Amino acid sequence: MFLYFPLAEFWRTLLTSLIGLLTLVGIMIRPFRWNESHVAMGGAATLLLLGLIRPADAALTLVRDWNTFLFFLGMMGLSAMAEAAGLFDWLAVQAARLARRSAARLFLNVFLLGTVITMIFSNDTTALILTPVVYVLVTRLRLPVLPYLFACTFIADTASFLLPISNPINIIVMSRYPLNLFSFLRLLFLPSLVVIAINIGIFYLLYCSQLRGSFNIDNLSVVGKAVKHRAYFRYTLWVLAIVAPSYVIASAFQFPLSTVAVVGALLLLGGALFWKRTTLLDAGKGISWSIFEFIAGMFVVVRAIENTGLTIKLGNLLLRLSGGTSFGAVMVGTFGAALGTNLINNVPMAVVMNSSLGSVQHAAPAIRNGFVAATMFGCDLGPNLTTVGSLATILWLLILRQRDVEVSGLDYFKVGVLVTPVMLFAGALTIWLLS
Amino acid sequence: MRVLGCLDGTNAEQIGHVARMFTSVEPQTIALLTVIDIGPREDIDRLRGRFLRPPMGHQPVTEEMLAAETAAAQEILSAGRAYLEKAETMVRQGRPELEIVNAAAEWRADVILICARAEYGEPPHLGPRSVGHVARFVLDHAPCPVLLVRPKAREQFPIDH
Repeated sequence: MFLYFPLAEFWRTLLTSLIGLLTLVGIMIRPFRWNESHVAMGGAATLLLLGLIRPADAALTLVRDWNTFLFFLGMMGLSAMAEAAGLFDWLAVQAARLARRSAARLFLNVFLLGTVITMIFSNDTTALILTPVVYVLVTRLRLPVLPYLFACTFIADTASFLLPISNPINIIVMSRYPLNLFSFLRLLFLPSLVVIAINIGIFYLLYCSQLRGSFNIDNLSVVGKAVKHRAYFRYTLWVLAIVAPSYVIASAFQFPLSTVAVVGALLLLGGALFWKRTTLLDAGKGISWSIFEFIAGMFVVVRAIENTGLTIKLGNLLLRLSGGTSFGAVMVGTFGAALGTNLINNVPMAVVMNSSLGSVQHAAPAIRNGFVAATMFGCDLGPNLTTVGSLATILWLLILRQRDVEVSGLDYFKVGVLVTPVMLFAGALTIWLLS
Repeated sequence: MRVLGCLDGTNAEQIGHVARMFTSVEPQTIALLTVIDIGPREDIDRLRGRFLRPPMGHQPVTEEMLAAETAAAQEILSAGRAYLEKAETMVRQGRPELEIVNAAAEWRADVILICARAEYGEPPHLGPRSVGHVARFVLDHAPCPVLLVRPKAREQFPIDH
C-alpha cells in the first residue's frame, strides 16, 4: 500500500520494526496457540500488503536462500526414509547389546549414538526420532527413563556443529557467510569435542546414582525386530555410506549440501517405493511442510527489517560490545546468539544474526570469523538451556509448578541451567583460541 | 482395612514386606497400583514444538511407546504379585503423584504405602531431599494416612551431624 502512497522514512522504519517485533513476540509466546509458521507468514504478508517490502525483493530473498529450503527438505526426507528402514531402532538395539547389561555403558552409548546421528543426519533427527526410540528401549529394559532422554535431547544440540550438515542453522549462516570445510572444522570441531566431553562428564556426575544397575539382556529380544525388510535396510545402509562422505566432499568443495541431501533422500525414497516400504503419501507425511512457511516468513520479515538498516545497527552494537577483539567477538556472538535462541527459537535468531553480521564483513578476519563461528555455536548450543521449549515455555512451567503440579519439563531446565553456561563458555573459549 | 501399595518398578519387595505386616493385625484388602508416567511423552511433544513439529499423534513409534509402557507396567505388577498373591492390581496413566491420590480416593483406601523414591541400585538415600517429588506430593495431598516406606539403612548410622 505504501509503495503507492509514499511514507516518510521514519514511519516506514517504525512500522516495519513494529511488525517485525510483533512477529518475533508472536513466535515467542504463541498467542491463542497459533502455529509459529502462521505467525511468521502473517508478519511477512502484512509487510507485503503494506508495501513495506517490495514483492520482487521478497521473492529474491527466498530464491537466494534456495539451499536452505532444499537442505531442510533433503534432511527430513533422509531421516524419514531411514526411520522407515528401521535404522534408528536397529542402532539403538546395537547400542544396548554393546553395553553388555551395564546401565552406565548404555548411557555412554546413547551419547555416542546421538553424536553420530547428529553428525550425519542433523540434530532434528536425534531429538525427534532417536529420543522416542531410546524411550521405548529403556522402558523395555526397565531402566530409569529420564537420564537417557536427557542424553538424547542434549546431545542433539551439543553435537550439532561437528559438521556443517549437523544442524540446519549452520547451513543458514554459511549460505551468507561461507566457510570452507577446513575453516569450519578448524573453528568448530575441537570446541564440539570439548562441549560433548563436558556434557557427558556432567551428566555422569548428575546421574551416576541412577546408572549403577544393570539390565536384563533378554528383554532385548522384544525390541530386536527392528529391521522390517532386510533388502531395504541393506540398501539404506549403502545409500547412507555414500551420502555421509559425499557431505564431507561437498563441504570441502563448497558444493551446495542441499543437493547431496535431496539426492540421498530421493535414492532412499526410490528404494522404499520399490520394496513397498512407503507410499508417496506416507513419505509426504514424513516432511513437516509448515517449517518452509516458517522459514520463508522469517526470511521476508528480517529482510524488511534489514532494509530499514536496523539489523546493521544491531551488528554495529555487537561489534562495539566486542571491543574490536576476537575474544570479544566470540563471547558476544556466542552469548548473544544463545540468549536470543531461548527467546525466539534458533531459526529466527540465526536469520537475525545473519542479517546483523553484515556490519562485521569488513572487520579483521579473526573478528569476522569469530562472529560467524560464534553465531553458529550460540544458535546450535544455546537451546540446551531451555531444551524442551523457549523461555516462555519455562515460565509457563514455573507457573504450573507454583500450583503444586510437578512438571517434568522443569527438570530439563534445571539441568540446562547447570550444564549449558559451562559448555557455552568452554566452547567459546576454545573457538577463540583457534580463531 | 484397604491398603494401597504404590509400585515404582524398584520397590516390589519393600511394599510386599510392609503390606504383609498389616495382615497380622487385621483382615485387609490390598491393591497394587502402578502408574504409566505421561511426563516423558509430554516432554517429547514439547521438544517437537521447539523443532516446529506437531505433537506425535498416532505414529508407529507412539504405538511402540504405548506397548513398551504397558509391558513394563504388567511386569511391575507381576513382581508385586510375587509378594502379595491375592492383591488386586491397577494400572493408571497420567502424572504419578496425581494418579496415586486420585486412585486412593476412588478405591477408598485406608492407607497408602509408598516408597520415598525409586532406587536403582544405589545405597539408600537418607537426609534432605531423600523424599522424591511423587512421595512428597502424596504426603501433602493424600485422602488417607500414608505410610512412607524407607529402605533399611542401619549401616549409615549413627548420624554425626
